[in-house]
Formats: sequence, structure tokens, C-alpha cells
Amino acid sequence: MAETGKAKIVIPDRIQQGDAIRVQTIVQHPMDTGFFRDANADLIPPWFINDVRVLYGDTEIARFEWTSGISKDPVVTFMLRADREAPLTFVWRDNKDREYRSAIDIKFGT
Amino acid sequence: MSDRDPVGRRSFLGFLGLAGLSLAGGSRRGVSDLLPFLKGPDDPEVPNEIVQKIMGERFGSREIKRGHVTLDMPPLAEDGRVVPVAIESDLPMTPDSYVKAVYLIVDHNPDPLVTVFHLTPAFERVKIETRIKMKRTCWIRAIVETSNDELWADYMKVETTLNGCG
Repeated sequence: MAETGKAKIVIPDRIQQGDAIRVQTIVQHPMDTGFFRDANADLIPPWFINDVRVLYGDTEIARFEWTSGISKDPVVTFMLRADREAPLTFVWRDNKDREYRSAIDIKFGT
Repeated sequence: MSDRDPVGRRSFLGFLGLAGLSLAGGSRRGVSDLLPFLKGPDDPEVPNEIVQKIMGERFGSREIKRGHVTLDMPPLAEDGRVVPVAIESDLPMTPDSYVKAVYLIVDHNPDPLVTVFHLTPAFERVKIETRIKMKRTCWIRAIVETSNDELWADYMKVETTLNGCG
């Protein structure tokens, strides 16, 4: 569990201004539904990411409502219009109010 | 997943369905019974009060039309804990007209509204992939909401054997 919240964002190596780029993310999280039991037959309490914010520079460009119906170690992939050089930041928040953050710089050129 | 062509596959399956129709002279319902992963002739029934409530809260009495969105999932998901989902739309993403939200409803999950993606025109187009859990075989609804409050949908029945929700 020590790795919970460890995240990776993948974007293309080379980006030109105006490109449509594929952004892939993964964050480590158990996404427990609260319906499964552990080895002692005790219910594992629900623990899942329920709010994701995506910022491009300082602008919030997307917000995702999630439930425990998203698979363990959530992945999400989408197409972004790379129209300026700025950091792309993901903020994942779970139902225990823990926040996990990761960012990658969008830069143009070779 | 992105390299596959869901439209091409759908068109092909649609062609098979039509061929079956003309051969058997039966109803479209008959064809979809034979091939359960084909979309039925009509929108799937709202299966329960939870889904009814979600759709009422989110969409009110607005009409949900088919089209402009493609839901791509495996027709048979072996492991209900990890089921890939791809949602695509040909709707524009411009400041004047864009998709502001993408809803994914899994009819028979304990929490059927699995996710909502709230978007802005910073997205070049709607092409979102993720992985979800499924409790059992049921219909999946992908519904997109435009900045003009129009609703477009695609539906798919997905078979699963291993309960991914507990």
C-alpha cells in the first residue's frame, strides 16, 4: 500500500503546437468497493478515488466523477489539443480525502 | 484498443444482422436473440429504480437519441474486475459547441453511474478509454451531453462471468 497514489502520465515524445496528443495516465489505488472480504472474512472498507481534476497550466480542463466501479489502479486515456506550453497536472482525490498529484510539462519542438 | 475500428466492426455485424433478416425473414428481435452482443432494435429498457433515478437526476425529461457516440467494449468480458471501455464521439469540440459530459452507466452494478467525465474544448475530440468493473452481464449505456444540452447515446450488452464488484 505504500505505493498508493504513485502515478504516471505518458504523452508523445515530440509535440508541435496545435497537435492532438494522446494522454495516458495510471495511478496506483486499490479502488475497494466495500463488498469484498479479506482473509479473516472481514469486509474491506470502501476506499476509492471519487474525484479527478485535470489542469492545463492554471486552467481546469476536465473533472471526472469516479466511483469504486473504476478498476483497481485506474487508467484513463484521452485526446488533448496541445495549444500552449504548460504543465498538465492531475489531482486525484479519494473518499478518505487523500490527494495524489502528478504533472508533466507539455513542450513544443523536437 | 485505439487501433481497432469499432465502426467498421459494427457495420460488419450490422450487415450480418441484415443478412440474417433477409434469409430468415424473421424479426430483428430474433436476430439479436441469436447474437446477444448485437445491439437490440430498440434502446434497452431502464432496468431498475436506481438507474431510473440517476437518469432522472442527470437528464430530466430530455430525449436521449442514438448516434454521434460509439461505445466499444469486449462483448464477452472474462474478468468483471477489469473490463476495458472506449467511448468515442464525432461531435465537435469547439468553444461554440462541445461535449460537456460523458456518462457511463452499467445497469446492474451496485453503483450504476460508474463515471462521469466533465470536459471542455481543450479536449481535441471525445476519445476516452478506461477500465471498469462489472457485477454481472448487463447493458452498458454511454451517454454524451453537449453544450447545447443535447443527449446522444450508444448501448452495448456485455457478458461477464466473474463478479468484479463483490
